Amino acid sequence: MENDNFVVFILTNGRPDKVITYDTLKKCGYTGKIYLIIDNEDKTVDKYIRRFGIENVIIFDKIKIAKTFDEFDNFNDRRAIIYARNACFDIAESLGEKYFLELDDDYTAFDFRVYIDKGIVKPVNDLDKIFDLVLDYYKTIPAKSIAFAQGGDFIGGIDNGKELFRFSKRKVMNTFFCSTDRRFNFIGRINEDVNTYTSVQSRGELFLTIQNLSITQKATQKNKGGMSELYLDSGTYIKSFYTVICSPSCVKIRLLNSSHKRMHHSIDWNRTVPCIINERHKLNSRY
Amino acid sequence: MKQFDLFGQEFAPKQDEKYTSKIKAPIYEPKNRKPYTLELFDNSKSKRIIREINNSNVSEEEKAFLIEAARRHTVFNYSLIADYYAHSAKEMQQLMERSALVIIDFEKAIQYGYVKLAEEVTNQYLSEYENGK
Repeated sequence: MENDNFVVFILTNGRPDKVITYDTLKKCGYTGKIYLIIDNEDKTVDKYIRRFGIENVIIFDKIKIAKTFDEFDNFNDRRAIIYARNACFDIAESLGEKYFLELDDDYTAFDFRVYIDKGIVKPVNDLDKIFDLVLDYYKTIPAKSIAFAQGGDFIGGIDNGKELFRFSKRKVMNTFFCSTDRRFNFIGRINEDVNTYTSVQSRGELFLTIQNLSITQKATQKNKGGMSELYLDSGTYIKSFYTVICSPSCVKIRLLNSSHKRMHHSIDWNRTVPCIINERHKLNSRY
Repeated sequence: MKQFDLFGQEFAPKQDEKYTSKIKAPIYEPKNRKPYTLELFDNSKSKRIIREINNSNVSEEEKAFLIEAARRHTVFNYSLIADYYAHSAKEMQQLMERSALVIIDFEKAIQYGYVKLAEEVTNQYLSEYENGK
């Protein structure tokens, strides 16, 4: 990669034999540094170390990091990814790396989603180059984080006749490109990504999704370990309400009409994020 | 579909141009009308909750806390807020910026960079897959 000072973190828990993202990164041509981020309550730490090598596994203190942000509840159930998400900023700093990418452990693909007469989905073969392109953009804008789209964003097609990519470009999920000098806290024990991009952006910070790159995750609640048990315990009903707690003026709960009907958050984006406008609208700007 | 230039000559648009013309950065273009300030937010729910708090028997200290919390239900209309910003005087604009009610895209870094990245990703796709074949 041309960009130095960059590392990939795979946030994982309890499934050392199923870190799918690791193999996917290699398959898609990533040659840079990868660290596995494990918490000190994980009973499978030894297996992670045996499989990936002690130099590639970083263990953080879950209770210590829990004291640095708002979990929104007092359930004392720490089977959640938010602790690792927030720990990554300090971990990157301790490694002397400025830029890092937070990934979950269950990604089966990194894909192009380009449109040339029709929508095309093809796997990326040179992730080094793609990460360079994304980092080059990230460095030039004031965004806290930017991310790839997700496979699910493209359900229903990508072209609505006027514009490509009908999904929101202001969210960030699954692939968080971050920098140690653009810190933010993930908040709320579960649904932490949505809680964060709604509440942090409502105060004028910027997150963006890159439309023509995506990841695919193993089907939700099918990969044993990780967050699956937590979600199966409470369904998505409780999960969705975490976002209403932090953003009650712009997030509602509604029934998601998929094959597996479930309650889900619904975001009114015009009520959630301040608009980005051209500098020429600012009085006495140079334009 | 065939395309013709100003002089009636047929030409084929480049793949990249055709593609990127449809890629749009999430930039909002303010409208010509300056909205009324009352249109910028809806505090009916907040007011209803505050009325209940004021009519309650909880302590003044608790009331003060609950009233602050009730304001979280005030709904802001950010596209109208951007319209309002574009038609406001300098001092008002500065205060709106201080409160992060709009995000200014200086030197079009967000907009141009977004489209440029889309172009570069497409080019990378084309190079990996032999011009899309």
